[in-house]
Amino acid sequence: MNELLSVFIGMALVNNFILSRFLGLCPFFGVSKKLGNALSMGIAVTLVMFLASVVTWFIYHYILAPFNIEYMKIIIYIVVIASLVQIVEMTIKRTNATLYNSLGIYLPLITTNCAVLGITLINTQENFSLIKSMVSALGGGIGFLLVLVIMSGIRERLEISDIPKSMKGLPIALITAMLLSLTFFGFGGMV
Amino acid sequence: MTPILILTGIGCALGALIILAGKILPQESRDFKRVQRIAEILPGMNCGACSYPGCFAYAQALVKDPKTLTNNPCMVLMQDAEKLKSVQKILGITENITMMERKAFVHCGGDSEDICQWAGSNTCKGVAQRHKGYKRCPFGCLGLGDCIRICPQNAIYMNEERRVAVVDWDKCNGCGLCVAECPQRLIQLVPANTKIALLCTYTPIKNIPGREKCDVGCIHCKKCVRACEYGAISWNTKRLTPVFNHNKCTLCLKCVEACPQNTLTACVDGKVRVSS
Repeated sequence: MNELLSVFIGMALVNNFILSRFLGLCPFFGVSKKLGNALSMGIAVTLVMFLASVVTWFIYHYILAPFNIEYMKIIIYIVVIASLVQIVEMTIKRTNATLYNSLGIYLPLITTNCAVLGITLINTQENFSLIKSMVSALGGGIGFLLVLVIMSGIRERLEISDIPKSMKGLPIALITAMLLSLTFFGFGGMV
Repeated sequence: MTPILILTGIGCALGALIILAGKILPQESRDFKRVQRIAEILPGMNCGACSYPGCFAYAQALVKDPKTLTNNPCMVLMQDAEKLKSVQKILGITENITMMERKAFVHCGGDSEDICQWAGSNTCKGVAQRHKGYKRCPFGCLGLGDCIRICPQNAIYMNEERRVAVVDWDKCNGCGLCVAECPQRLIQLVPANTKIALLCTYTPIKNIPGREKCDVGCIHCKKCVRACEYGAISWNTKRLTPVFNHNKCTLCLKCVEACPQNTLTACVDGKVRVSS
């Protein structure tokens, strides 16, 4: 149990996907303008991460490892993630059209989101058991969600504050991201 | 050989899974397709003047209740007969909605002298909250450009000479965002074919006559009301300013001739030549 908790905390805070590993920066800057959108994007990414981890665990241990073709893992993982994203996208499109529209291009872009591919590769690399990879995927997803929500909260305030013209938009967002990254640096050594 | 087979196998299995999911999940409703088609026709600049969060949300509201088109019209859509017709076709409305082409117009001639210096926030809203601004005329354009910042078409520019915002009617598409933005309530939507520009909305509080304020100030003489033969101008007894009924106006410009000030001035396409 302790081990699972340390995996979770390690994935969510210490080795946070966005702020420590610098993966998945595209939705981090693209969808973090509004709190609601950021929340739903985070949930969608968490869901895809979780499903992808479970599916790729089975594929790795029952197909790739017995046939000794571990070198194929990247291409196969991408195929798996792409089809999972397709299914998630279809579900959102048919149940909540407004959300589908506001997520826009970033929803299909989860396909090439390196955070999702990252979690599957990390799980394989660390040789996690099924339960452990599930927990690490959840941790990674929730860490992603947390940072996205924090960032969108800050960016909503930035919208109404007086910023020098040259810093408006992305530059100030990047500086904010740097400061956020520094604060998350404080979690280092916890696990 | 094995890697190729495995990759193909996994790909086929996942493809089958997607097809299966497509069958099982609830079908995309017909309404959604209509929403998408309408959203493509709408201006798409998400100005928010219709009070919905963006054009897509407005399209959804239209499909939900087609009456929204008349109750809460999209000003930009109303100006394009072709697009309006195609939206009506999608919604299944046959009744003839009259098109109205309207443009924003700043009802101020500007050029009121400063009576103090302002060193606060550089927005009209901020200035308007303190002592009605820093100009001699408390009703005039403050010239700090809140309307310029909100205009999605970049149609408003500042006339530096007279310190007044001017709308470029070639660019303005009549969305009406600036109408609500101006803290002085100077901007109004007027028909695009109007030839008469009212350059003052000044109200004589405390009996300060307009002529002392600026050269285009209304002096509340009611001459324009008497000059109009078609009853297109009525008198707002509360604010003591003329009110135009543009439907009755025949553009005879008698009121412009009658006006002793330059308050009522002839204009073409929103361009006014103010002679001082």
